[in-house]
Amino acid sequence: MVNAKLGATMPGQQTTRYIYDSVVAAAGQVNFNFFQTFAGKTDLQSNLTTNKLDSSESMVIKSIYVATNVTQGLTGHSNLNITVGNQVVLKDFNLAFNATNRGVSFDRLHSGIVTTDYVEVRLLTDIVIPPQVNFKATLELAEGGTLAAESITLGLKGYGTIFSAGSTF
Amino acid sequence: MPARNVKGNVQAQDKILYVANKLGLSSLKYMQATTRVIYDQSTTAATQHTLFEGAAARSFPLTNLGANGNTFQVDEALLVEKIAFFVPDADDGQNFASSLNSYKFDLIIGNKTVMKDVVVEYAGQQAFYNDGTAGSQVIDLEGVGILIPPQVEFKINVKPFVTNTRGAASARVGCYLFGTGVLLNFNTSI
Repeated sequence: MVNAKLGATMPGQQTTRYIYDSVVAAAGQVNFNFFQTFAGKTDLQSNLTTNKLDSSESMVIKSIYVATNVTQGLTGHSNLNITVGNQVVLKDFNLAFNATNRGVSFDRLHSGIVTTDYVEVRLLTDIVIPPQVNFKATLELAEGGTLAAESITLGLKGYGTIFSAGSTF
Repeated sequence: MPARNVKGNVQAQDKILYVANKLGLSSLKYMQATTRVIYDQSTTAATQHTLFEGAAARSFPLTNLGANGNTFQVDEALLVEKIAFFVPDADDGQNFASSLNSYKFDLIIGNKTVMKDVVVEYAGQQAFYNDGTAGSQVIDLEGVGILIPPQVEFKINVKPFVTNTRGAASARVGCYLFGTGVLLNFNTSI
């Protein structure tokens, strides 16, 4: 529906999509920018080469995943912002309530994983990334303690469309 | 949405638009839908707390409400679907823990009490809530939740107490409101 409103009407292959980006931290860093720089990253650090989806691709974000080995972990309060184009689509979102098992997760069926290094949140609303529109994410951690060369990864999971030659030529 | 008007499976965004229409918020339907969580903390141990009120004077990580405090900006709103309570670890409010306490609270929006003397019982949702070995500190609002409209002050009055003895507990308290949100989206006006 969103693609149609934007005039991006080319049919594509429907799929499940997962995009991610990793940032290697500097000592003491608590603010992280994702989907901003891609140079020099391995295919396990990011599966994108630019912060736009291709002209025939789009995506709906349903879940947000973070994995890290920063010293302080992900249990402290956090502020996640996602911007698509010039529109903030997720504002000051706190991931910490779903981290570990403290009985305050958003989801009724929560993994309760004890480690502080991983967290995933299922969204209530569809967040659309249309084709050829810049997107970015920023994450602020309340707790310090990050050491140099520690890594933090933000993943966006959902469904979408990818290029399908079969129906377009 | 009043129960008499509920026909079939009413969803969160249906309720937001219904209430917005009743309040005359004609532009809300053009805004950006989102998932939102707002929280506030009282990091001084006490037997009763008022949360969200005066949040404009607090900054992250004590709260994520920002400079507007306990009112949403124009064309921002939150349909509260879950409410949870937690215990800040320290005065800095950077991290938190669960507890064995329960919490009796009122939710007040504008000059109206919309939830009165409600209790989040420790492990009170264990029939359908699984968070490992931790007891739930969350309450799911019945129906499709309660809307906090733009530019109306809201607050929570809460008293922590020991669940099994029903005695008052002096403790730090934090609270989050989670649900479907609306964010300002300029389409054509600037």
